[in-house]
Amino acid sequence: MFERRLYYHIDWALLFAIFALCAFGVATIYSATFDPTHGASHRYVVQMYAVGLGVIAMMVMLTLDYRTFTDKSHLIYVAILAVLIYVLLFGHEGKGARRWIPLGGFNLQPSEFAKIAVALVLAKFFGENRGAPQWTDLAIGGVLTLIPLGLIAKEPDLGTAVTLLPIFLAIAYLAGMQMRILGILLLASVLAAPIAWKFALKDYQKSRISTFIDPSLDAKGAGYQQIQARITVGSGGLTGKGFRQGTQGQLRFLPEVDNDFIFSVLAEEHGFAGVLVALGLYLFVILRALEAARLAKDRLGSYLVLGVLASFTFQVVYNVTMSAGLAPVKGLTLPLMSYGGSSMIATLAGFGLILNVRMRRFTN
Amino acid sequence: MAIVEDRRRVTTRLTFLQYLITVVFSVLAVSFWVLQVVQHAKFEEMAENNHQRTLPLRAPRGLVLDRDGKVLVENRQSYSISIDRERSKDLNRTIRLLAAVLGIDEAGVRTIVDRHRREPTYRPITIVQDATLAQVAAVRARRLDTELPDVVVEQVPTRQYPETKGAHLFGYVGEVSDAQVAAGDAGLKSGDIVGQSGIEKIYNAMLMGEDGARRVVVNSVGREIRTLEEDQPTEGHRLQLTIDIDVQGAIEDSFDVLGFNGAAVVLDPMSGDVLGFTSRPAYDPNAFAAGIDRVTWASLTSDEDRPLNDRAIQGRYSPGSTFKMAVATAALQEGVITPDFKVHCTGGATFYGRPFKCWKKGGHGTVDLRHAIEQSCNVYFYTIGNMTGIDKIHKWATLLGLGEKSGIDLPNEVQGLVPSPEWKQQYRKEKWYAGETVSVSIGQGSVSVTPVSMAVYAATLANGGTRVTPHLLKAVDDGSGWKPVPPPPPRSKAPLDPVKLQAIRDGLWMVVNQAGTGHNAILKGYDVSGKTGTAQVISNQGKERAGKTDKDLRDNGWFVFFAPRDNPQIAGVVFLEHGVHGSNAALVAHHVLDTFFAKKEARPMPPRPEFKANLVP
Repeated sequence: MFERRLYYHIDWALLFAIFALCAFGVATIYSATFDPTHGASHRYVVQMYAVGLGVIAMMVMLTLDYRTFTDKSHLIYVAILAVLIYVLLFGHEGKGARRWIPLGGFNLQPSEFAKIAVALVLAKFFGENRGAPQWTDLAIGGVLTLIPLGLIAKEPDLGTAVTLLPIFLAIAYLAGMQMRILGILLLASVLAAPIAWKFALKDYQKSRISTFIDPSLDAKGAGYQQIQARITVGSGGLTGKGFRQGTQGQLRFLPEVDNDFIFSVLAEEHGFAGVLVALGLYLFVILRALEAARLAKDRLGSYLVLGVLASFTFQVVYNVTMSAGLAPVKGLTLPLMSYGGSSMIATLAGFGLILNVRMRRFTN
Repeated sequence: MAIVEDRRRVTTRLTFLQYLITVVFSVLAVSFWVLQVVQHAKFEEMAENNHQRTLPLRAPRGLVLDRDGKVLVENRQSYSISIDRERSKDLNRTIRLLAAVLGIDEAGVRTIVDRHRREPTYRPITIVQDATLAQVAAVRARRLDTELPDVVVEQVPTRQYPETKGAHLFGYVGEVSDAQVAAGDAGLKSGDIVGQSGIEKIYNAMLMGEDGARRVVVNSVGREIRTLEEDQPTEGHRLQLTIDIDVQGAIEDSFDVLGFNGAAVVLDPMSGDVLGFTSRPAYDPNAFAAGIDRVTWASLTSDEDRPLNDRAIQGRYSPGSTFKMAVATAALQEGVITPDFKVHCTGGATFYGRPFKCWKKGGHGTVDLRHAIEQSCNVYFYTIGNMTGIDKIHKWATLLGLGEKSGIDLPNEVQGLVPSPEWKQQYRKEKWYAGETVSVSIGQGSVSVTPVSMAVYAATLANGGTRVTPHLLKAVDDGSGWKPVPPPPPRSKAPLDPVKLQAIRDGLWMVVNQAGTGHNAILKGYDVSGKTGTAQVISNQGKERAGKTDKDLRDNGWFVFFAPRDNPQIAGVVFLEHGVHGSNAALVAHHVLDTFFAKKEARPMPPRPEFKANLVP
């Protein structure tokens, strides 16, 4: 099954960049969660285990031809929908949301894996059609995206739910969706915004958006994190305050330092130099993955790569923007760096698929 | 065909995505560059403000000592509890919780916060001064729970007056008022504790010292992580007063025993050193030290006896017979009479068609100056006063210190009044009547004096005419050792003829040591000289008209004194409000003199007196 020559086609450069980012993440988690009275938190160790599990997941994704996965994508998709419903009904509750399935000391977050399932099923769906997708194709693809999106949004986890949209848009775009339609979709969403504001958004979400526009409106409440994020990043300067020397993160002026705001801590402790290194690595990973999409031997492969990459890229860009206080605060983690097992495993599994497509570009 | 087209489109669109992503990342990098490099200084300062706090270290006020080095005013450590609004997320919640934790009225806390609302938020608002240990413990526990991260417990040195004597002398301290801050003297800032009266006020700049500061690192819930630097506070200067705590104690004890309100000032007649200074009723300055509570304050301000009023420098009273020495001085110095000038007293006399009574119904017979002073014969002084005239009486009374400010180093001294035709014309728009001079001659009419000016009067008669300036500050230690403070120069020097003056002194000696009214002050071997005065609070007719009333209408009692007669070492005045008779005031003087000389000669001090006032008018 796993032919020896395939080994030579693995994109080692991409792998190296991915693991460099993981290492950067583990180090930042170590620094951010270090407590001067109790010493290092065990979180960085947990994260290393997660990376280990992620590597296994990645290898699993490499062993089979990606077409095997897309062929079974409808099953995978249905299975993940079932799990998402299960979470809604019986999931573990925390911070006012049902997002997790407890698996003996480890809480699995199925929504992270839904991204892969959606990428697989959409790649397969659009890959089977020739020519530019028609309205009906877009409608079906949209529904396939919106079902898991709705389930995840209901947990509620609006942040993760929204990351499914780029998958659909990217694959549809690559499949040849007319720019006109894209324009109509964008226009519709702009028009829908006031309605969403009035009916769909909860008060705390509204206040996040209005304080984003003017953080000083609520400097102690919702605007607080945004102001603190800017202070954290800005005070880092060119070369940063040094490992474990950040005051904003270490003294907890910023919440979720190992999670949503891990990039802020990195920016504080390693400065603009560290930011450039991290951004450079992410950009390299994304461009390299796009290269894999270009090299793919079939459309299916290209779509799959782009689908997986779309949610990853969206999350990276949004999280980095937010961690500089330049976007409304949203519970979106930074893939590969933020603390979180499910995210790490799902992300590495996704990159397994990307490597898979590139690796098998010469096979039949 | 379609495949090729598909392939081409995929390639084009992927290329577009590549550029798009590269542009997005470039924008991100530029944004970070702006934040981290261009605006770095601003954010670095904000981060520093976030995690660094400057906590004031209150400077203890300087100690106050008596002339022998005994501590009169010191400091103790107390705790204050404040709200740091910069750290408040929900001020209302904090107020509610804090009031509950401290067990105090929420509305009260709100009032305090409202009063300081317009101040800069970095300045904590003190809610409780001098908190109990239980309150401190309760707040500290909550702080660690991060329930009240915006509440600060501060250790503050607080004024303490171990002797509850001399309240008006020391004065009291309190939080600086808005008006005082606005006046901007000595860089006062809101929340500072400053002297509000007495020594504490007049020497506030010396006593205050300089607050220090401690810069600490705090985390997001305000817990202190470590100290960055500490600037120790500088203690205020130590002041040594001229006060002799034993003399002071003798005065206070005597007032306690007698139970009268009033005032007493005792001086060294040569230097003007104030040895003892009292005003009654008094208050407990300790009650102000850590912020006076509203109930106590209200009771002090609404009390009809006006305990906050310093009678020694702010009370104006009719001097009665104690004024006679001023009239005698004027008559002698102006050559109107000689000490041997005699007047025949039949118990009254008529001047300008109006009868003037002597206090002794049958009259004193024929008396010379010495005996007139001894017997306090009114007719004698009516006569010589009338002969001398108001202008000369005014001139000499003023030279002796009456009707003038003494210049004592205490705030808000008022001026008494020795009337003159000019004064009457100016303020009453009336002509002076010669009959008024007759009343003034025995210290009645519009003459009014402050007790402190009477002490100066006694000292001036004692030392031969030098109107010393009474003063309280003897030496200052600014941290580099004690430096004596030279006594202020005398206010004036009256050219008194020693021979003529001796006649007056003889009379004063006779008041105490022979048949006079000052017998209570006698101290064998010390030639105490003095003069009583009994001044009506209300005229005889008025008294009858008032009939039965709750108001105290008893006469005021005075005793001015010095001793020994020929080499005076101590001089002063005792004033008893409604003290019925000056001889009661002489009781106080006796105990003061007894104590003073016992101490001077290292004899055992007299015990607490057991005398009783004579309440028969």
